[in-house]
Amino acid sequence: MSKAKTESKNTKKETTGNVKIYIMGSAYEVPATLTIMKAMEYAGYKFTRGSGCRAGFCGACSTVYRKEGDFRIYTALACQTMVEDGMVLTQLPFVPADKPTYDINNLTPSANTILRFYPEVARCLSCNACSKVCPQDIQVMDYIQFSLQGQIDKAAEESFDCVSCGLCAIRCPAEIPQYHVAELARRLYGKYLMIAPSYLDERIKEIIDGKYEDGFKELMALSKEKLEERYKNRDKE
Amino acid sequence: MVNYSYFPGCNLKTNAKGFEKSAIAVSKKLEAELVEIPNWNCCGTVHTMTADNLMKRIAPVRVLARSRKHVEELENSSQDIVTLCSMCNSTLKIVNSEVLVDPEKLEVINFQLEDDEETYSSDMEVKHFLEILRDNIGFAKIANKVVKPLKGFKVTPYYGCMLLHPEEAKIDDEEMPSVLENLIESLGAEVVFSPLFKYCCGSYHIVSDEDIVTRQVQKIIDSAMIRGANALAVACPLCAYNLDQQQKMLMEKTGKKEAIPIFYFSQLMALAMGEPVEINHFEDHKIDPRILLKELKFK
Ligand code: SF4
Ligand code: SF4
Ligand code: FES
Repeated sequence: MSKAKTESKNTKKETTGNVKIYIMGSAYEVPATLTIMKAMEYAGYKFTRGSGCRAGFCGACSTVYRKEGDFRIYTALACQTMVEDGMVLTQLPFVPADKPTYDINNLTPSANTILRFYPEVARCLSCNACSKVCPQDIQVMDYIQFSLQGQIDKAAEESFDCVSCGLCAIRCPAEIPQYHVAELARRLYGKYLMIAPSYLDERIKEIIDGKYEDGFKELMALSKEKLEERYKNRDKE
Repeated sequence: MVNYSYFPGCNLKTNAKGFEKSAIAVSKKLEAELVEIPNWNCCGTVHTMTADNLMKRIAPVRVLARSRKHVEELENSSQDIVTLCSMCNSTLKIVNSEVLVDPEKLEVINFQLEDDEETYSSDMEVKHFLEILRDNIGFAKIANKVVKPLKGFKVTPYYGCMLLHPEEAKIDDEEMPSVLENLIESLGAEVVFSPLFKYCCGSYHIVSDEDIVTRQVQKIIDSAMIRGANALAVACPLCAYNLDQQQKMLMEKTGKKEAIPIFYFSQLMALAMGEPVEINHFEDHKIDPRILLKELKFK
């Protein structure tokens, strides 16, 4: 889930009634209780791209905005962020970035591997613009630096919450596609560095031995209503 | 026990693991522990040393600011940031004195760092670990901790360019340095002086024109060997890489038979202080120092 980035004084006094926002330059009056995504729909926009889960997980709804009288650039996930009076915003439904292909089975978890596919990582200026813009509050610069240092485990852990919204990549003066670098780091981490849980082999054997076959058959035979009921009453950790 | 906020630099985590591990081990032994800054970024040498564009000073100033925070969390620490790599040492020292004499520059840089709460106020000193060994610990204490004197080691100290130049970054007299000599002697080894102690190793030319590096390395190594040295002591991962790698190259290309191993000064210390030999990562060296250890029956 994403953090809400827009709790300024403005919102607090404007939680009821309408606020005025600017979508791609045009002014709209919208209820103050809406998220940016709902406000855009209220204003008549229809999402065919730039929206997915509506729950802060898919990273499809990147939004860039400024506020009146404030030089800063703000970013948000539109489905997770409430509108604010005076917001000037636009959507960034897609960020172009090159994504090299590799065979994860033939790599080593090292700085050299990162640099082989993403040589631009060496251009990082440590400006931290990427961390400032991240709607997930990730220390993006730190994970880029960890990758450059070959500290793949730390890069994987720091980038864990990344939703690949791409906002960091558009702010980077070194033109690094951070989220793709992070994905490579996490793959290397999972493949080569993480200790496999001891019960994994046992569970695989159980599956091969057919322990769950009957259970699956039973589920497949259920009606949609019965399935929904089961889902609602499932055990949660 | 004193704790130093330690800035590793990228090389120490990749090409020079033995440098770092050995230095950390001896620092503990000497009760002057090098404690790594938990999250650090590149010292910025690539960008920092090219032009006076302040954007390019953000990386080193951020390192100084993070070290300043780190020092507050460390018990019994000093306002020093300690490095092992002579390139990082040089970059950080130069930028540190630059912003000290020019507070306006610092203000511009701090403006960029404000949002991150990582502003800097020119209150750190940049030290190379060799300076700590000489000025804060002292060679007598080092000699005291030696359990296996380096008998038969004939070591040429090699400073390279970065430890002695420029003025703002040098750690010793640029014409008559003594810190490596004194250190080597305190470990029970013999110092073999070579006049090419700061003759450039060829540095980054390794990327674009390897031949330049080969020529430089050949002269440096020959000069040490003629005088009877069987080892070279260095303090820079790039010098070490060039000297080690290019000797191997020369052997393959010219059929040259002799080579001498390149040691980080900290590896010599770790050997003399009886640390386990594995921490030196000698397997990463092209000219394996374990051959010399065997010859000298060093155990
Ligand atoms: S790291 Fe980049 S791509 Fe990932 S969530 Fe943060 S801003 Fe988006
Ligand atoms: S925005 Fe780019 S250059 Fe700046 S810190 Fe992030 S990765 Fe490095
Ligand atoms: S729509 Fe998926 S994160 Fe907003």
